[in-house]
Amino acid sequence: MNRTRLARAGRAIALAAAVFATSALAAPDMNKVIREVFPAAETGFDPAAVHDLYSGTIVQGIFETLYSYDYLARPAKVVPLTADGMPQITDSGRTWTVKLKKGIRFADDPAFGGKARELTAEDYVYSLKRLIDPKLRSPWAFLVEGKFVGLDELAAKAKASGSFDYDAKIPGIEALDRHTIRFRLKATDYNLPYILAHEPTAAVAREVIAKYAEVDGRAQANPVGTGPYRLVRWVRSSKIFLEANPHFRGFTWDFVSDDPADAPLIREMKGKSMPAVGRVEISIIEEDQARLLAFQNGEIDIMNMEGPLAPKVLDGANLRPEMKAKGVKLSRQIDPEISYTYWNMQDPVVGGLTREKVALRRAMAMSYDVAEEIRVIRNGQAIEANFPIPPGVVGHDPAWKPGITHDPAGANALLDRFGYKRGADGWRTLPDGKPLVVKLSSRPDTLGRQQDELWKKSLDRVGIRMDVHKDKFPELIKAEKQCKLQMRVAAWIADYPDGDNFMQLLYGPNTFQSNNACAKIPEFDRLYEKSVAIPPGPERDALYREMTKVMEAYAPWRLMISRYRNMLVQPRVQGYRRHPILRAHWMYVDVAGPAAGR
Amino acid sequence: MTAYILRRLWQMVPTMLGVVILVFFLFNWVGGDPAYVLAGKISNQEQIDNIRRQLGVDQPYWVQLWIFIKQIVTGDFGASWSTNERIGSIILTRLPPSLTVLVPLTILDLLVSVGLALAVAYVRGSLTDRAVMIVCTVGLSISILVYIIVFQYVFAYKLGWFPVQGWGDSFWENLVRYSSLPILIGLTVSIAPSLRLYRTFVLDEINQDYVRTARAKGLSENRIMWIHVLRNASIPIITNVMASLPGLLIGAFLIERFFSIPGIGREVILAVERSDFPVIKAITVYVAVATMVFNLLADLMYKAVDPRVQLR
Repeated sequence: MNRTRLARAGRAIALAAAVFATSALAAPDMNKVIREVFPAAETGFDPAAVHDLYSGTIVQGIFETLYSYDYLARPAKVVPLTADGMPQITDSGRTWTVKLKKGIRFADDPAFGGKARELTAEDYVYSLKRLIDPKLRSPWAFLVEGKFVGLDELAAKAKASGSFDYDAKIPGIEALDRHTIRFRLKATDYNLPYILAHEPTAAVAREVIAKYAEVDGRAQANPVGTGPYRLVRWVRSSKIFLEANPHFRGFTWDFVSDDPADAPLIREMKGKSMPAVGRVEISIIEEDQARLLAFQNGEIDIMNMEGPLAPKVLDGANLRPEMKAKGVKLSRQIDPEISYTYWNMQDPVVGGLTREKVALRRAMAMSYDVAEEIRVIRNGQAIEANFPIPPGVVGHDPAWKPGITHDPAGANALLDRFGYKRGADGWRTLPDGKPLVVKLSSRPDTLGRQQDELWKKSLDRVGIRMDVHKDKFPELIKAEKQCKLQMRVAAWIADYPDGDNFMQLLYGPNTFQSNNACAKIPEFDRLYEKSVAIPPGPERDALYREMTKVMEAYAPWRLMISRYRNMLVQPRVQGYRRHPILRAHWMYVDVAGPAAGR
Repeated sequence: MTAYILRRLWQMVPTMLGVVILVFFLFNWVGGDPAYVLAGKISNQEQIDNIRRQLGVDQPYWVQLWIFIKQIVTGDFGASWSTNERIGSIILTRLPPSLTVLVPLTILDLLVSVGLALAVAYVRGSLTDRAVMIVCTVGLSISILVYIIVFQYVFAYKLGWFPVQGWGDSFWENLVRYSSLPILIGLTVSIAPSLRLYRTFVLDEINQDYVRTARAKGLSENRIMWIHVLRNASIPIITNVMASLPGLLIGAFLIERFFSIPGIGREVILAVERSDFPVIKAITVYVAVATMVFNLLADLMYKAVDPRVQLR
């Protein structure tokens, strides 16, 4: 009994100490408001359930993961968030032990019965298990599936019984004490910190989920986290109002950067108590014109300038003079994404690893003019993707010289050499004399039509007849996952800023999941398996280069572009710099002066 | 009268059944399988099957159809597949903003169009009549999208008379501050076709013998136009207005999207983009019911304005 009392007293002292430490930082100014815009509606705020960018942004502001990213470091660098330091790795990368900072509190909520609720290791154990609960049907199950010892078995039991046993102890995810978590992995995986920095793994309180969960176990409308902000009002698909969480521990702005362009920002912000902004107002404005006019009218402080809008505000990489004159700032960076055209490697016409099939795919890849796409379709707001891992992501090689470039003459020669003869009508046939027709699948929208036209023009140049197959997005995804499409333009944005997130897209066993080319290239698979067993560094980078060579040799993809993200920022916003992964930047910025707008 | 109403209500059942079957098969034919999108970027067949099972789309069609019918009877359409929000809540929260814009718009459109129709019909063939008809034809030829873009740019951004977009908490703030420009655009778009149509109805009446008789009796032109002509022209006008009323329930999606009005029109578009069948089918059913009810009300109003009309 005495020991229990002592433990309680100790926890109370620790909590009080944490609160005292927090109070040394200035409280956010509730008169400071920052207004942002989303171009698409959110869906909800349960970290395990939402999978759209905008809901995820709110989740980042309300909830906290064990790890996060340094605000200014590029490429993105993992740093502790609620964890007390980086994980202790033992057992050749199979066992990871993470200590939690003490005294972190959830925002107040009736679910806690009026008591202060400290964040504990059990909250993370519970939150990670939720990702694989079949009832929740989380789109993030892949983050934990097949990784932690005992977790898949627990999920299998839940499928059989219809109920997930959250109290069952598993060796893969264990709370050793109130502030220590131990992860035991089935295989070495150095990407675990990235997963633990990804918002679906953020801590939710079990009592909150019990109180607010809907019939499928999701709690989309009542987010209660330990993060810097809390939801105070939500008009679905229209407005989201956040307010500083009074229990957030805060921090002092003390980021450093190697980039000289960050110097003014650092001077402006260094030493400030954060978060400085007390309120965040987010409007959902779907239409481009309305968004731009609202920004120009001063109704919005930060907005992303999508490609179609870019010419109205940007002159290449710079703001137009009229925007500069207003003091508007531009934060521009390459998104951690690639777009590529894939060919179905199981397709009888374009698939396979034989020399003539490889030649056909390489020729089609060489026929495509990426520079034209950037100029015509992307309004100059993209760069050519030369390496399968985009800039800003660990493993990217900026010096890579691509093996496939735009070369229609070379493509024609290659096709001639491998027996794809031109008929009297000018179209080529297969080496066996049968007609050669490829089918590009795309969505019935503007971008889809533009890409169809560019591909058609490219393939016409090399005498390959192309048909277009139009379908709705869900049907395209369905057919793609069943390896039934022949050719499609796809895109991938980083879930976490590590090369593995991109290289896994061509790993054979991921067919029917993320490997949309349905590629099974033994050489690539062997290299990939080696790469996941070693930590990021020169050795793994060398493997990635080898894998890229294999990819270029077999040509299951034609790499296309990575887009620029141009963030427009009103002059009153201080300290803003676009981060490739962090999107809830409100906790890192300040505002000077009142909100503008008529 | 009661017997007539009951008979009309009874006749709604087979019509409703037809709507239900049409909506159900159209969605299943063109709607796409939502499970593949809801499953996220990286998912396996087992997860997709699990989602299909939870949504009930793995059931045979007849079972799904029966569930749909039960939902209509109970009025409980469940929750959105994308957001988990109850359908009842979606309709109750999105309808008021749409109505805040569309009800004043419908009333103003009716009053202005009828007034102008009477005026131009009275001076039929004059320069004024012809000028108004030319303006109407030009107005009709321009897409609502153009009106929205130009009006938003000029009146909201350049002149600053209205906010570019937004929606607040207070009804009066929403009506006066945020709805004024959308209503103005709606009026600009709707007056031209309404005016042309109502002018035709009025012209049909102006040439009737009873108008000549009224003039011969020495009645004032105001009385002839506003009392006699308008009353007789009101039956087709009522038909037109009542036919447009169910449209209030689906909002004005373009106006709502451009002005960030959290109305039902935006919700319908979102539901279609997300293949959110529960939302689509609930709204379709409500609109179908509203159409039938407003048609019945129109018939009853015919009787009220013209005693010669027999309800059979």
